[in-house]
Amino acid sequence: MKRFNKYTLYEISAPLIGFVASMLILLVIVIIVGENPGTATDAIWKMTFASSTRTATILSTAVPEFLAGLAAAFAFRANIFNIGVEGQYFVGGLVGALAGIYVPLPAWLHLPFVVIAAMVGGALWTAIPAALKVSRGIHEVITTIMFNNIALALVNYLVNGPLSGIGAGGSLEPQTKHILPTALFGNINGLFRAVGWNVPDSVYLDYSLPVAILAGVVVWFILFRLRIGFDVRAIGTSTDVALYAGINVGRTQLWAFIFSGALAGLIGLQEIFAVRGYYTFQIASGLGFDGIAIALIGRNSPIGVVFAALLFAFLRQAGYGLQFFTKVPNSVISVITGLMILIIVVTSELVSRYIKALRKKEAM
Amino acid sequence: MDLSTLLDYVFKGLDTSAPIAFAALGGVFSEKSGVVNIALEGGMLFSAFSIVWGSIAFHSLWWGLLFAVIIGMAFAAIHAVVTVTYKVNQIVSGVALNILAEGVARFLSQNIFGQETQSAMNPYAFPTYRGMNIFALALIPITAISWFVLNKTVFGLRLRSVGENPEAADTLGINVTLMRYSGVLISGAMCGLSAAVLYPSRWVSGMTGGRGFIALAAMIFGRWSPIGAVLASLLFGYADTARIMFESKIQIPSQFVQMFPYVLAVVVLGGLVGKARAPAADGLPYEKGED
Repeated sequence: MKRFNKYTLYEISAPLIGFVASMLILLVIVIIVGENPGTATDAIWKMTFASSTRTATILSTAVPEFLAGLAAAFAFRANIFNIGVEGQYFVGGLVGALAGIYVPLPAWLHLPFVVIAAMVGGALWTAIPAALKVSRGIHEVITTIMFNNIALALVNYLVNGPLSGIGAGGSLEPQTKHILPTALFGNINGLFRAVGWNVPDSVYLDYSLPVAILAGVVVWFILFRLRIGFDVRAIGTSTDVALYAGINVGRTQLWAFIFSGALAGLIGLQEIFAVRGYYTFQIASGLGFDGIAIALIGRNSPIGVVFAALLFAFLRQAGYGLQFFTKVPNSVISVITGLMILIIVVTSELVSRYIKALRKKEAM
Repeated sequence: MDLSTLLDYVFKGLDTSAPIAFAALGGVFSEKSGVVNIALEGGMLFSAFSIVWGSIAFHSLWWGLLFAVIIGMAFAAIHAVVTVTYKVNQIVSGVALNILAEGVARFLSQNIFGQETQSAMNPYAFPTYRGMNIFALALIPITAISWFVLNKTVFGLRLRSVGENPEAADTLGINVTLMRYSGVLISGAMCGLSAAVLYPSRWVSGMTGGRGFIALAAMIFGRWSPIGAVLASLLFGYADTARIMFESKIQIPSQFVQMFPYVLAVVVLGGLVGKARAPAADGLPYEKGED
């Protein structure tokens, strides 16, 4: 076990400082816009913690954000910038949806089947960028950006063309056929009500929540309890050191990259299987980039990503609160999110310099 | 295809390509100095807002352009401070700046124009010829100047040297920090020029639509050379224009035309023309006297 010492304390200080500083900046912006800080805090409170509906909404919003963060964080751990999470969940979601539409199975088998199909879809979409990186040294940032664009065009074509199910639901919006009832994600709101948390049925707390928790546990287990996880973390610390230690860097990165894509495949589950019940290329976009920010704020640890995803979901609700009840525009949330990341990374750089100096001093 | 359509295609294509090409040139300067700048997207978006804002505020398009260039440089300066001075991971800083730029532009739009998603109409505009903003023609001299500065001047040599081997450059008395700041700031200025072609008559949230990232790809596709980067940008721009102009006339689904340049880029990068080599110290912060 890692000993909890003052260094650990210093290390977790950066995200805290980043959060507190960006909240102060938010207050300053509120004052500049000419709004009463009290009104603003009240507005945020109303949309976030004032009722169990709002709190449950935060939890629900955090599920896809967490999965996006987890996918990005796993790749970061292996020194890979997976900017392609965006395309991976569009393709993964489609493959999952196809498994839900065209493969009739009993529910107990169908549910895990669509989850695995979504992961396979995400993994397949990652395979080429991963192979190009490992075999040809082509930077993954470029190939994954290309693959994001290709993915969007591809799902657009498929949903409009061969897989179109227009008319199936009486909707004119381009979409696939409806997913079979055996594969739909039911809600587990009743479970929360049973333990005393009054969650209304309008909030989506569905099977994607346990899937996300399971994914988080699996990632933690791989990273900290398996040999491959040790290799991944060694590469993340320093590729050179990992090479000297005899780790097969190429193969490990290939595997980690593809696994990150598989995790990305899970991001769309909530919207496709619980909210919509069909696939469309109009599912929420931009989660891939959110995931990168969440991974950074959560310092690439599964636990950190949980907090960062909840923070993101909280900020989103806070933004709606400001928009509805005050003169402060919603965009202020993007402003402070960007600033928060910058403050966190600069602070943690300063902190690690300080720790380095401190260690040097103690060693003498 | 008749001559008139062909001419339309030539000029419209240049109009579509130029914003990507300017940003790609910016990327070349930044990466040649050793700093990866994925905040080109945010820089373009914020500059595009600034040129509309500046033109309206100063009642002049040229002042608006100057303003956009300065804002682009100021925005890039944040990237330089964070990555060169504080040595924070360059991609991380770029991701944060992209989020920040989008938020700041929307926030300012709300407070200046009363609408979060778009600005007021900008009455000042460059004249157009067959659908091409004539400022796109500035791409030709700017490309030539970029090539000249990078390959034929002392400044260019120094800039490239800190991107290849900062230790050696430092030993020779070249100021690594100064050179890297220059590279990043030039990329910010290029975002300003890119905005001058990009903006139609008003700023709209999300109007850059990933062009900054395409510019990065064009830069790598063009192997970090100014001319290569511009040629790759033209490929992306003309393919996209073909999709928009001839969508109804061709038999293949438009989505395949849309993905063509990206697939081509992956295929080319993947092996047809050999390994593209980045500047050796690209992406690495420089620690003076690191043991």
